[in-house]
Amino acid sequence: MSPTAAGLVALEAGKGTRWLLRRSGRGGTSLPGLIAERIHPRLAGELAQGIRNGSLLITGTNGKTTSTRMIVAALRGAGLIPLTNREGSNMLRGITTTLVAAASWRGRLPASDQLIGVFEVDEGHLPAVIDALSPRMLLITNLFRDQLDRYFEVDFVASLWATAFQRLPAATTLILNADDPLVAYLGESVSNPVLYYGLEDGRWGRSQLQHSADSRRCPRCASDLQYSRSFYAHLGHYACAACGWHRPTPRLSAWDVEIGGLEGSTIKLQTPWGPQTLEVPLPGLFNAYNAIAAAATAYSLGVRPDAVKAAVGDVPGAFGRLERFELDGRRVLLALVKNPSSFDQVTEILLRNRSTLRLVLALNDNGQDSRDVSWIWDVAIEQLCGRLAWVIASGHRAADLALRLKYAGVLEGPPDGRPALSTMPVLADAVDEGLRRTPPGEELTIIATYTAMWALRERFVRRGHLAPFWQA
Amino acid sequence: MSAPHASAAGVVTLTIGYLYPSVLSQYGDWGNVRCLQQRCHWRGIDVEILPLEVGTAIEASAVDFFFMGGGADSQQRLIARDLVMAKGDAIREAIDAGSVALLICAGYQMWGRRYRPFRGDDLEGLGIFDAETIHWAAEEKVTIRDITSAGRGRMVGNVVVEWEGTTLVGFENHGGRTYLGAGARPLGRVVVGAGNNGKDHTEGAIVRHAYGTYLHGPLLPKNPALADHLIRLALQRRYGEVPFPPLDDGLEGQAREVALHLHR
Repeated sequence: MSPTAAGLVALEAGKGTRWLLRRSGRGGTSLPGLIAERIHPRLAGELAQGIRNGSLLITGTNGKTTSTRMIVAALRGAGLIPLTNREGSNMLRGITTTLVAAASWRGRLPASDQLIGVFEVDEGHLPAVIDALSPRMLLITNLFRDQLDRYFEVDFVASLWATAFQRLPAATTLILNADDPLVAYLGESVSNPVLYYGLEDGRWGRSQLQHSADSRRCPRCASDLQYSRSFYAHLGHYACAACGWHRPTPRLSAWDVEIGGLEGSTIKLQTPWGPQTLEVPLPGLFNAYNAIAAAATAYSLGVRPDAVKAAVGDVPGAFGRLERFELDGRRVLLALVKNPSSFDQVTEILLRNRSTLRLVLALNDNGQDSRDVSWIWDVAIEQLCGRLAWVIASGHRAADLALRLKYAGVLEGPPDGRPALSTMPVLADAVDEGLRRTPPGEELTIIATYTAMWALRERFVRRGHLAPFWQA
Repeated sequence: MSAPHASAAGVVTLTIGYLYPSVLSQYGDWGNVRCLQQRCHWRGIDVEILPLEVGTAIEASAVDFFFMGGGADSQQRLIARDLVMAKGDAIREAIDAGSVALLICAGYQMWGRRYRPFRGDDLEGLGIFDAETIHWAAEEKVTIRDITSAGRGRMVGNVVVEWEGTTLVGFENHGGRTYLGAGARPLGRVVVGAGNNGKDHTEGAIVRHAYGTYLHGPLLPKNPALADHLIRLALQRRYGEVPFPPLDDGLEGQAREVALHLHR
């Protein structure tokens, strides 16, 4: 089916904008779609009808980029041609940009029988994207607090999702994380097919929730949830003593997860498609979750287990997610943090890997970082006590970081054991100073929020130390 | 860091009653408690923190300092009954006897007379502040359907407030508009931001030693003058004047300076 006349005009405008941006050397991730959407709001839906195998959406607070990459690789391995918003942003306008770029001037997508849409979606924009694309499958990784100035509370986002789910086609399959009560509860109110995945390995988790846990309440009756096991944030094995609602038993479960520091993990799965093993080359429990989520989605789409295994085993880290490279004889480790739970996860991995860190911490307060920097007070910065050689606070809100470090007690200790703190708001200065202080052969760790990471990465790319993210 | 320690270390204890820490724990408001704890610790003053959850009984004379943070409407609903019915009398008794309180956002709203959310029934508050709060969407009779419409009337952004000849800095993020009655005095006057309701330039409320405000940030670390003012008020009730040496607030000053010059 082709777009309407209005759609063709919008398509032309979008394509023209994209061409202009490209000519001026910029990769437009939103603007072409935004312009096309303004002219004809239904353009994405009209173009997406040309995707022969339908579309799947991946959303959640953390892990959607990595899960999307794994799913795309698995589908490619299965001989499909995934159309994905690698270039476009993860709002509807970004998906529109992707579709505009892929379509011909007449609005036709490549007439391949193998075309399938795989779109990463921002959690706030999920309802709009569901309405535009009528997806065949939907993966939800988790729902943590993130950018309260933009999205308010997690309960509110969950309620918007639940409402949007009422408009899903009846056959749309939901792939849901059983270990996240807010996500799992979404499966209760729909009649769609649901596949729950979760972690069953009894060696993981503790009996206490972390401070960064957002949802300690039963989504059905609002009483306290009891956790027999807590993996991180509010993920775990839970039940409500008051109303009896409990974690659904996942049909796809990881019963053995071996995590090897920064190197990655080995996961043994029990699935409706038989027992499987995955090797994940990315660190941390959260990446193990990403692999389990991606595998659940790919199996559900009929991808053969060996193609899934190959895709998961081969995935490169997403933008700034614990990337490592060499610079002037030093090792540099880049870690993106977005919210309290991702910051806590990253810190835990780094501290498991090294006894002391040389650390540059960068906090920006642009729209994509969260304009409100209060969230750093919900991060367990206290974990860094006694574990820093020195620390440089950087970014627009370097001074706020410095204050947080001070009140965490990180800067205290015996006179010869106090880590020196420098405040250097300009990112380039902070990194140069960090490199200068790091002896050759040693490692410098850089933890940064989104726009700070973006700026740093661009600098490293310009100097030829890293490949641009769209090639990585 | 140079951390001066008072000579009378250990004998002076500040007891903080932290209201509903497991329910109202968003927006970094916990950082206020951390700030009080550290600024006392650096002066050799002990701090005891009593978590006051739903069902926890309060002994009015035991609490020097109440703290309550922000949260969503659904979370406010969870604690409203316990706050007013179970804890109300003890809290009023303590405030009358000179206890200090710092209430942020949802906490501030719930210490007023009434809160009208954008959906569901009105919530009765403690009534310590002569103030009423109504969600902007309820006031304007607007239906909230999605993220965009929810954000439209919300008051979100950096805030600067005039307070006692100096300024307070913070970040606000609230849908409720609070209107003060004749019996409540505002905490300060808004220089940047919306404050209580975006209309009358007032921010927060003070009654006796109870301070209500919309400022997150968290509030106290970047406003150490207010933190120290509240600690001293709270200690005076039990101990009279105690040694209260100044601290090195260099980092606090730098963070304030940045916050004073942020865009809205």
